[in-house]
Amino acid sequence: MKLTQILVIAIIAVAIGIIFSTLTDAGTYDVFNTAFSNEGKEYHVVGKFNKEKGSIYDPEKDPNRFTFFMVDSMGTEKCVVLHKEKPADFEHAEKVVIIGKAKDDTFHARDILMKCPSKYNDAQAKDPTTTSR
Amino acid sequence: MTEYIGEHYLVGRIGHLFVTLSFGAALLSAWFFFSSVHDDRFKKWARITWFVQVAAVLGTIGTIFYMILNQMYEYQYVWQHSNSVMPLKYIFACFWEGQEGSFLLWSFWNVVLGSVLIRYAKEWEPYIMSVFALVQVFLASMLLGILIGDYRWGSSPFMLVREMQENLDMPWTKMKDYMSLPLFKDGRGLNPLLQNYWMTIHPPTLFLGFASTLVPFAYVIAGLWRKKFSEWIVPALPWTFFSVMVLGTGILMGGAWAYESLSFGGFWAWDPVENASLVPWLTLTAGGHVMLIHKSRKTSLGLAFVLILSTFILVLYSTFLTRSGVLGESSVHAFTDLGMSGQLLLFLFAFMLLAVALFSVRIKDFPKEPAADKIYSREFWMFLGALALALSSFHIGFTTSFPVINKIFGTSFAKLEVRDYNKWQTAFAILITFLISVGQYFRYVDTDMKAFRRKMARSFFLSLAITLTASFFFGWLTFSITVFYTILLFTCTFAVLANLDYFIRVLKGKLDHAGPSIAHIGFGMLLLGAVISTGTSKVISVNYKGSVEMLGSDYSDAENIMMTRNDTLRMGDYLVCYKGKFKEGINIKFEIEYMKKDSLTGSITKEFTLYPFIQLNERMGNAAEPDTRHFLHKDIYTHIKYAEINSLTDTTRSGNYGEPHSNSVLPGDTLFSYNWILIYDGLVKEVDTARYHLGKAELAVAARIRVFDFYKNDTIVFPIYYIQDGIPQVIEAVMPEMGLKVALWKIDPETGKVDISFVEKKTDKNDWIVMKAVIFPGINLLWVGCIIMIIGTVMAVRKRLRTTHGKNG
Repeated sequence: MKLTQILVIAIIAVAIGIIFSTLTDAGTYDVFNTAFSNEGKEYHVVGKFNKEKGSIYDPEKDPNRFTFFMVDSMGTEKCVVLHKEKPADFEHAEKVVIIGKAKDDTFHARDILMKCPSKYNDAQAKDPTTTSR
Repeated sequence: MTEYIGEHYLVGRIGHLFVTLSFGAALLSAWFFFSSVHDDRFKKWARITWFVQVAAVLGTIGTIFYMILNQMYEYQYVWQHSNSVMPLKYIFACFWEGQEGSFLLWSFWNVVLGSVLIRYAKEWEPYIMSVFALVQVFLASMLLGILIGDYRWGSSPFMLVREMQENLDMPWTKMKDYMSLPLFKDGRGLNPLLQNYWMTIHPPTLFLGFASTLVPFAYVIAGLWRKKFSEWIVPALPWTFFSVMVLGTGILMGGAWAYESLSFGGFWAWDPVENASLVPWLTLTAGGHVMLIHKSRKTSLGLAFVLILSTFILVLYSTFLTRSGVLGESSVHAFTDLGMSGQLLLFLFAFMLLAVALFSVRIKDFPKEPAADKIYSREFWMFLGALALALSSFHIGFTTSFPVINKIFGTSFAKLEVRDYNKWQTAFAILITFLISVGQYFRYVDTDMKAFRRKMARSFFLSLAITLTASFFFGWLTFSITVFYTILLFTCTFAVLANLDYFIRVLKGKLDHAGPSIAHIGFGMLLLGAVISTGTSKVISVNYKGSVEMLGSDYSDAENIMMTRNDTLRMGDYLVCYKGKFKEGINIKFEIEYMKKDSLTGSITKEFTLYPFIQLNERMGNAAEPDTRHFLHKDIYTHIKYAEINSLTDTTRSGNYGEPHSNSVLPGDTLFSYNWILIYDGLVKEVDTARYHLGKAELAVAARIRVFDFYKNDTIVFPIYYIQDGIPQVIEAVMPEMGLKVALWKIDPETGKVDISFVEKKTDKNDWIVMKAVIFPGINLLWVGCIIMIIGTVMAVRKRLRTTHGKNG
């Protein structure tokens, strides 16, 4: 076989390898029920923070622990413990994505992504007769 | 039509006219250039319409600047991005904050590049300019903002606020004097997070990078079109490496900005928008090198075509990704969907179709390639290098496209983790840097391997020695550095030394042909700096308190530490104290003092102070920005991870005085308060009676007390004790900044003892922060590497230009 042909095959093999490897490594978005049925496996869960239940962040005790309640897209609510500092704009987030594993009755998140109101969202243009910005 | 008071209606109409003109002129120009291929008479009209288009684009830009500088807040674009209080450079830079402005920026660069090409492209002109003009048609269409049936084509930067979709039914739009309403007094201004000098240089550079990928693309199209399959390479080479240089610089600027100002905690986060700009750069660099191979050996033509065509297509794809909103949930750069995804896809597919169709039609006419490359030939190893770059690009491109894949296939793949990116990319980087090391020592066609090994030996063994020694000394292998990282460190060092060796021994230090060697040295250093600084970065704000549930090493993320004001904690080699916060404009700055304790004398010296801050931003949410201390061999990077919003704006030293402490002391005695050390020196009879209105006092005496702080600086205070009308009274010494009051109470003349009491404000429990401090060793290697790489690429481009002009006489 010509060298070029070997190389082409090798390239295709590597590309396929990339596809498989990344798809296996990638986390998946899922709901709480899935996460809690597969304890110990990592998932990304999208949801809304339950403002009524409040949140706990006591940095004196542990600055890397933030507890709150979240409702996912199917309406399941769970207690979430984030092993990081409380995100700066937590209360303003429309949606959050937590990344972590379920254990017993709590979801332990190692990271959180916030979806804040769109940067360019002027639809809440506010009343121009009163606001100056 | 209602006449609105204060509204500059005409300006917007003129601007819109310019856009429409640029669209029409570009369309005509494309048609004329296309026709001029077979009929030279069209050339004159092609050029005229091109320059009409140029004028129209410049007119559009000029109109917007006119509107901005004249504070016409009745226009949505001006209102949204500009205001009257920003420094001039941001009023200028806000032009490209919005999508419309950045499209215009891209269009502007095409105008520059295209006009230069008309001058220098010679017989390639009609072909190349057809492509250029066509691109301009698409870009202009993004700005039209006209309604055709149900669909709005483009987003016009000349919309009045009252014409915006969401405001159409609002009652105030019918008011004649709506401009006197508070909303229009001033604009919103540039997002405070973007009010940074990088905003003035990063976007223009990056967009010139994107725009310039069109030049080699157009040359490939032209080459395929004319069936001149090799002749396009020589004129296209300088442009290709120009694009490599500019786009690379633009990307690196983004990294520098992120490191300096943002809280990524680094210079590269594998964020989708970052990746989207890196992917075409990789294929472009690969393509450029394959073009070099073809120039020398007439092989690998197909690959050159594929890589260069892919580059511009990938730029269009990345435009789609970042502007369509599809990346919404996975990127910090997420733009909102302006409803232009359809047009962006059309743009992308049109050029994909052009490239694929032309390539397929011409492939049967490709010239026969000479005998297959020998393994020990330079072109074979360069070819491998190009493949490695292309695969790296594929990996990044594929994973960044997960949101698109999810949309198409209904899957739910989440964004890939940084560690998973690094897994593959480290492997590619090892391969690429290794090839950079050995590539130049191979000769074209074939190499004498004995001579090769001899030449390479010196730099190979030196690199090996350095890597092993450094690993041992710095204990790199005890960090989370794996074998792979160490191999990468070796190959990067090898790349630097091998190219340096080549420059010195083979090129004999002559700068003429040194461009590539220097660029490679820069690239090696850049990667070396990146690997060392991230691989050996150490979080020194390690938190020893708090429970951690061991669900995996990711979950012991004890990287943040909490500090109350005046708390001093040990972090790494330093003692760090949070001194307090103060407001500066829209920023709340936090004073973090770094001190070192001399182990012999025990004295504490202040090394430096950092001021990480939080920018108050109602629109976007408060943003924390770091402060970094730069040393030659490392950076200490500090930033605030969390602070109580309520207490942010309250910067006074609040809190109440605590309970008084009273002690009976003799001269020389020491008293300890929560924050201070007080030494009573003795009584002082000379009291400034006039100042304290003690003229009528029978007796007045003061105590001399030295108050010491942590650094053994002292303040001397004199609390007073006096007797007036037979009644003993005191005048306290009050130090409000220290939160301390000291008083002299009783004097016992027999024993010589006096009573000293003090009250102080203890540490304000509400003033605390959660912060993270990281050491990035060797990061200056990264920045120096960037600069060297840019210099080397500039040199290479200049050499190419000299060669091209030399060949053409």
